[in-house]
Amino acid sequence: MSQTVLDVRDLEAGYEPGVPIVRGASITVDKGEIVVVLGPNGAGKSSLIKAVAGLVPISRGKVLLDGNDITAAPAHTMVRLGLAFVPQTENVFPLMSVEDNLKVACGILERREAPARIAEMYAMFPDLARQKRSAAGNLSGGQRQMLAVARALIIHPKVLVLDEPSAGLSPKFVSMVFEMLSAIRKSGVTILLVEQNAKAALAIGDRAYVLVEGKERHEGVASTLWDDPVVAELYLGQRPLKPEAGGAA
Amino acid sequence: MSLQFVVDGLLAGSMIGLGAIGVTLTYSILRFSNFAHGDFMAWGAYATLVCVGAIGALFGKVAPIAPLSFGWPLIVGLIAGMAFTALLVLLLDKVLFSRLRRQEQAIIVVMGSFGASMALRSLLEFIFTSRPTYFSRAIQIAMPVGLGIRITPDQIALLVLTVVLVVGVHLLTTRTQTGRSMQAMSQNPALARVVGIDVAGVVRVTWIIGAALACVAGVMIGILIQIRPFMGFDMLLPMFAAAILGGIGSIPGAVLGGLIIGLAEAGAVQLIGAEWRAAVSFIILMAVLFVRPIGLFGVRER
Repeated sequence: MSQTVLDVRDLEAGYEPGVPIVRGASITVDKGEIVVVLGPNGAGKSSLIKAVAGLVPISRGKVLLDGNDITAAPAHTMVRLGLAFVPQTENVFPLMSVEDNLKVACGILERREAPARIAEMYAMFPDLARQKRSAAGNLSGGQRQMLAVARALIIHPKVLVLDEPSAGLSPKFVSMVFEMLSAIRKSGVTILLVEQNAKAALAIGDRAYVLVEGKERHEGVASTLWDDPVVAELYLGQRPLKPEAGGAA
Repeated sequence: MSLQFVVDGLLAGSMIGLGAIGVTLTYSILRFSNFAHGDFMAWGAYATLVCVGAIGALFGKVAPIAPLSFGWPLIVGLIAGMAFTALLVLLLDKVLFSRLRRQEQAIIVVMGSFGASMALRSLLEFIFTSRPTYFSRAIQIAMPVGLGIRITPDQIALLVLTVVLVVGVHLLTTRTQTGRSMQAMSQNPALARVVGIDVAGVVRVTWIIGAALACVAGVMIGILIQIRPFMGFDMLLPMFAAAILGGIGSIPGAVLGGLIIGLAEAGAVQLIGAEWRAAVSFIILMAVLFVRPIGLFGVRER
């Protein structure tokens, strides 16, 4: 039995009291896995991981990271606890240089460790090294996503949580982002991601959950999830089983 | 015309610029126009005055440092005054601004700062009366430095102090982790939290820097002109003009804006008359904004 890194139990969360968007969702992420959360629009996927990251108020349930209760810990303490979150949009500081975007995330590292970590990120993402002096706002969409992921990885997170990393990217960059995530997992990082682009996400994922109306309704092995008629019904409604290239967004 | 206005303008510009740094930081990080910032200057000047008085009572009369009009008590008083102003401002944030910020509407905080401005000013008038007072009544002889310009040792010392402070704050905000956290907060507060920045800590640092510089500017006005409860309020419009002219959020911009406004006002006094002082700086402000709406050093959002 592999070790559970992130354990979300019966989570209820929402922006306004009494109006939960996440309604009793439970998911687990094991060490070294990529877990994908899918679901139709408005299912509460983003709210679920934002609640886990401390950005949406939690009204019930628990979030455990490596067995420690991190339920509703303030968002700025999450990196110290070992959870790095990459928001869907506006996930870099546009007026700061690429290098400063990385440096600003090094707050919890030892002062001497930071330059070495930044060098490791440049080795992993040569595109960023080439542009380290330019403002992050001048990067292409794909490079911004790289920068956001590098910034999240820099603190050695126990789990990397991403909100729709392919959103708004052109098809060329979409495949690049998923290849990048696959490579990051191979280096031993545990990943939880929410995606609209189901086909691409399932191609790199180990397990997947289908979230409907704020609760997980189905769980399965990523590679076979599409062939499951229950999933087709939950997620796709009456649409044909095989999604077109580019996913079911 | 005499070039004397250059010295007068640089000095006025230094006071305006030091104040404008606080205005621009508050605007870009706490996201509101703080109309009480001028009154922080006045409180800083009075706090320093009280410290200098207390030192005088404890140690007797202290001789001024060679060519300057003041001795070490003013330097110690200034440092104590900066600390006092910072504490006062942090207290004000705790009881007033932090509560108003929770409403998430800038206009509420702006109105709150108006109220704080009036209350702070009235309190000064109540404690110290509205009669002007001075750090020193000694008259300094201005030295001729060529081109018809004369400058006093005090003025040279204060110009040097301004340069040191501006360079120091610029390095702090661009080269240190604290400064990067402040930039991050001004660009995207939600993302700043996600990357692990303690928002409350950044807010505190912002207030402390603004308050300390306001105190220095207030003491400069006290040394070169006079101390009175309205001294800071009268600086409010030039400070905002400087911050906007330089580009909101930019520290070099705020200082350059301050110098431009200061020089323009001093030049206007000499060329057309003192009553046009404020008008000239605002004509320059409008002219710059027509050509470059984001200010000299401003950056377009995304």
